[in-house]
Formats: sequence, C-alpha cells, structure tokens
Amino acid sequence: MLRFDVRAAFRDEATTFDVAADLAVETGETLCLLGPSGSGKTLLLELLAGFHGYDGTIALDGRSLEGRPPEERGFGFVFQDHALFPHRSVRENVAFGLRYHDDTRDPDALLARFGVADLAARSPDTLSGGEAQRVALARALAVRPDAFLLDEPLAALDVPTRERLRDDLVDALADETAVYVTHDRTTARAVADRVAVLRDGRVAQVGPVDAVFERPTDRFVAEFTGATVVRGTDLPAALDAPAERLAVRPEHVDVGLDTPAAAPARVTRVVREDAAYRVTLAVGDATLVAYSSEEPDTETTVRVPPDRWHVLADADGSSGDDGE
Amino acid sequence: MSSFRGGGMSVDSRALALAVAAVQIAAFALAGALGRPTWYLVFAVGSAGVLGALADRGSFGVASALLGGTLLVALVYPLVALVTFTTPTAVLDALARPDVRRTLYVSVYAPLLATGFATVLGVPLALLLRRGFRGQEIVEACVDLPLVVPHSVAGLAVLLAFGEGHALPWLPVLGAVPGLVLALAFVSAPYVVNGAREAFETVDPSIERAARSLGAGRFEVLRRVTVPLAARGVFSGAVLSWARAVSEYGAVAVVAYNVSVFYPPADERVQAMFGSVFVVRELDVDFRSAVAVAVCLLAVCVVVFLGVRALTRETGRWS
Repeated sequence: MLRFDVRAAFRDEATTFDVAADLAVETGETLCLLGPSGSGKTLLLELLAGFHGYDGTIALDGRSLEGRPPEERGFGFVFQDHALFPHRSVRENVAFGLRYHDDTRDPDALLARFGVADLAARSPDTLSGGEAQRVALARALAVRPDAFLLDEPLAALDVPTRERLRDDLVDALADETAVYVTHDRTTARAVADRVAVLRDGRVAQVGPVDAVFERPTDRFVAEFTGATVVRGTDLPAALDAPAERLAVRPEHVDVGLDTPAAAPARVTRVVREDAAYRVTLAVGDATLVAYSSEEPDTETTVRVPPDRWHVLADADGSSGDDGE
Repeated sequence: MSSFRGGGMSVDSRALALAVAAVQIAAFALAGALGRPTWYLVFAVGSAGVLGALADRGSFGVASALLGGTLLVALVYPLVALVTFTTPTAVLDALARPDVRRTLYVSVYAPLLATGFATVLGVPLALLLRRGFRGQEIVEACVDLPLVVPHSVAGLAVLLAFGEGHALPWLPVLGAVPGLVLALAFVSAPYVVNGAREAFETVDPSIERAARSLGAGRFEVLRRVTVPLAARGVFSGAVLSWARAVSEYGAVAVVAYNVSVFYPPADERVQAMFGSVFVVRELDVDFRSAVAVAVCLLAVCVVVFLGVRALTRETGRWS
C-alpha cells in the first residue's frame, strides 16, 4: 500500500504553484490522477518519485520514504516521452537496472511479452512511439518495483497505438500498485480502479471510478469527467428534475422515446465520435448532451431516468458561469 | 565556396566541390603569377556570388553568398597567403632545427596539460551550472571573466597570484611548465566549462530520472548515462580549449617567455619557447624563417584539430 500526504511549492520568476495531496493507493490498485494541464498531477508524481523536495510523508508498504533518493524508493517510473537511453540498445535499456536489484525479471521474456523481442538489438531512436513505450514499460517492470508511477504514457501516441498499448498496460498493471497520471477521462476510466481528480494542485474528489464519474461532488469534477451540468429549473417540468444544479452523463440521456416522461427537444449539433453520434440538444432553457443518431435541426424528445440526475453542491467554488 | 550544405554530400556535389576547389586554386595561381593578388580576392568573392545564384535561392541567396563569401575569404586567404609565402625547403629546414622541434613539442604538450587540468576541474563545475544554484550568475561571470581580460594582463595576474613568494610558494611558475600551464588554463578554461555545460544541457533530464528510478545512484547515472550522452560535446569543448591554449601569446610571453621543460627526444631538461612566442621572436631574427616556423605550427594545429574532429564525428551515435 502506498500512502502519501505531501505538500510542495514550486516557484519560477513569475508565479508560485502549490501542490498538496493526501491519498492512499491499496496494494494491487491503480489510482488515476486525473486533471487538466497545469493541475499539478505530474508534479505530484515527481514528488512521490523523489525528484523534488517536499514537506510531508510518503510510505510505501509500511516503509517511510523520507530522505530517500529516487533510486531507493522502489518506484518504477514510466514517462510520457518514454525516456529510453538513446546510447543503448533496446535490450540494454531493459537490462539497465538489473545490476541494482536482486529480484528481477528476464529482459528477453519481457520484450517477448510486449511483442518487441525482435527489436532487442535496435537503437531506441529507430523505434515507433508505441514500440518505444513498450520497451520503457518492460524496462520499468524488469526491476520489479514495489509500485509504478506512470506519467501520461499514452498521451504522445496515435489513437490505434494508444488503444492497443492501453490494453497491454491494463494487463501489466493488473496486480501492481500504480499511480497513473492522465488528462484523458477515457484513459482514466479504462485503467483506474480509483480516480483522484486534481484541480490547481489540490484533490477535488477521490473515489472509485464509477463513483467519481457518476456522482461528482462539484461542477468542475462533473464537467471534467464528461457530465453535462444544468439547472433543474431550466428544464421542462415533464423531466421531473430536482430544482437544483444537476449533473447528468450523456449516456444516461435517452433520445426519441415516446413516453409521457419525455420532454420535447431540438437537435442543435451532431458530432460523430467513432461508432457513436454525440448529439447536443436544446431542452427548455438548458442544453443536454446525449449519444443518439438524430439529424441536426430536428425535433425530438428526451428523457432522463429520475435516479440519473445527480445533484451537485451549489457552493463548489467553481469559477464557471451558470449561464443564468 | 559558400553555397554547399554540409553532411551527406552526394557524388554530384562532391564533384562540384572538387571543381570549385580546382578553379579557385587555378585562379589563385594565375593571380599570383600575374602579381595581382587583389584580382583573386575579387574573383573569390564573385565566384561565391555566382554559386549563390546557381543554387537558385533568389537575390537573398546571392546577397548571403556574397557577404558570407567575403568573410570566408577574409578567414582563409591570410592562411593561404602564409602557407604559399614559404617553400617546402624552408619548412624542412625549420623542422631540422632543434629549437623549432622543442617549440613544437612544448606548443602541443603544454596546452594538452592545460586542457586536461581545465577539463578535470571544469566538468564538475559544468554539471553544477547545469543543475542551477543560488548565485549562479556570479559563478558564470567568473567563468567568463578570462575571456575579457587582456592576455598580457592575465599573465601578470597569474604571476602575481601563483608566482614566487605568493600563494603557492612551492610551485615553479616563472619560466616553468606549471606556470605555463596555469597561464594557458586561465585563458582556455572558459571554453571547456561552457562547452561541457552546453553538452550536459542537451541531455534530457527525464532520461537521467529514468536511470535513477531504475536504481542507479547519482554517480552511476553520471557514469552510465550523462557522460556517455554528453561526451562528444565535452570533448569538443576540450578541443576548443586546447586550440585556444595553443594560440595564446600574451599570457605566455609574461609568465614563460623561455620555459624549462623535460624534452623526451633529448632525454634531458631543455630551454624551449612556446610556439607563438617563438614566432614573434623569430620575426626579429629572420622573417622567412619565422614564416616557415609559423607554417609548421599551423600544420601541427590543423592536423590535431582535424584529427580530433574526425574522431568525434565517428562517435556521432552520441550526438
């Protein structure tokens, strides 16, 4: 189990940026740090790895990491840009850390497991992004770290590569303790057991993935996890929505159903997303988003099961505008 | 001359380069035979303009080629004039003189020691400067200070700091190899510090962090990652520093006009003069002989410089 309660301030000429987080990751669990650019998620990961000074405590499997340099912390770090050693072959990269550890994995077996055994003699700068990241993952796994820290390892990859590597990552991390930084909610949902949403260097909400995605505590978390935020009073009475600020996920908005519980809506925009159409709907004085197959500028109906309306705390400190 | 791009020259561009060189040599020889060296200068700059026009980069390309060609002529022509002034016989005669050989020896050997000294102490400083620290600007200014100190002043400063009866009383400075090396290191160390620092700055910090997260301590990361990745740049800085030391005159003239040095071919301690100092002194004795010695010195420097460059280019994998 990884427990940390850390604070740090980063300064450059113009600004100071504070990061503070108190979180725990169960053994074998993947915790996603999800947040927009500049929310401090990568800095937090680097604090854990020991790359910066900080105040507070970090304990990994009951072992305090205070005063320990990065090489003694027991974390395997996977970087967004893979950070392979350019002057060493793929195999040498994977074998780099073996000499510092007693309990290791066989580099060739790892390369085979990630389907890159045939690249063993190659130089890293001849690899594609996906291949390089597989090698980086194998390199981190080779020394059997106590926990993994992953900094957007998929962010620099094209979509098909990202999806394939994501599946491999999920398998590789299945029984590992891991903190996974990402700004992409789709990735977070795919890889995380629990998720911590970060905003301005602070944890806005933490919990199991479904809990955070289905029941965001405030507007920021709701919007960042893909929900639509509306005022209940702006919706037609037929929808029977609570008269408060609400979050609703697009997948819970039913379109085109002919029931008394449905309200009239107009399709204002349709965007194709892979197999689904993301449809923006004007409903009363509010705007809802759904996945459907309507045509633009057509009249239809919407319905939301009453238990899918999620009431948000009103005073959430959000800087967003309600549009009221 | 100026319109070629470096790197992988194709057969065509190599043939073109040879053709251009042949034309330039012929024109130079012709101008020399006619006793009109000025004509050659005009021709050389003009041919740069023609090559610029042939490269089809428009009037900007022609203007750049003309201006760049003028600079190239200003850089290369004096050396050509020097080399062509003397004759092979004069050079061989100069090389046969024991004092010239001793001069060449000390002119290569002392800068080598100075560069070694500056590299051993300068590389750790470069690492510190890359990491950054409080008061860094002051340290950077100190490193660059020798670049602005007039060199005879630098020589005096070294003499007063480390000479007889000063900070290091046991160290022979005036007219001795340690003094010569100190003077050379004073003027050339900035090149190796700055070169090494630039080389270290090209190493991606996340690569070093990756090494640490894999269990390597600071020294291991330095040994297995940072130094191999920066080696080429550090080496280039050291070569530049060596070249700067070889060319030093002012500081050497003050500290070690005549230097007492152990000379292996004679297996004894001899009096020798540093190259630049020797050339200036020789000018008072015999102008033609001074030029012949200067050409010898130039040849040694160019051979070492080109050799080292070729060597580092072959390790280009670490670029």
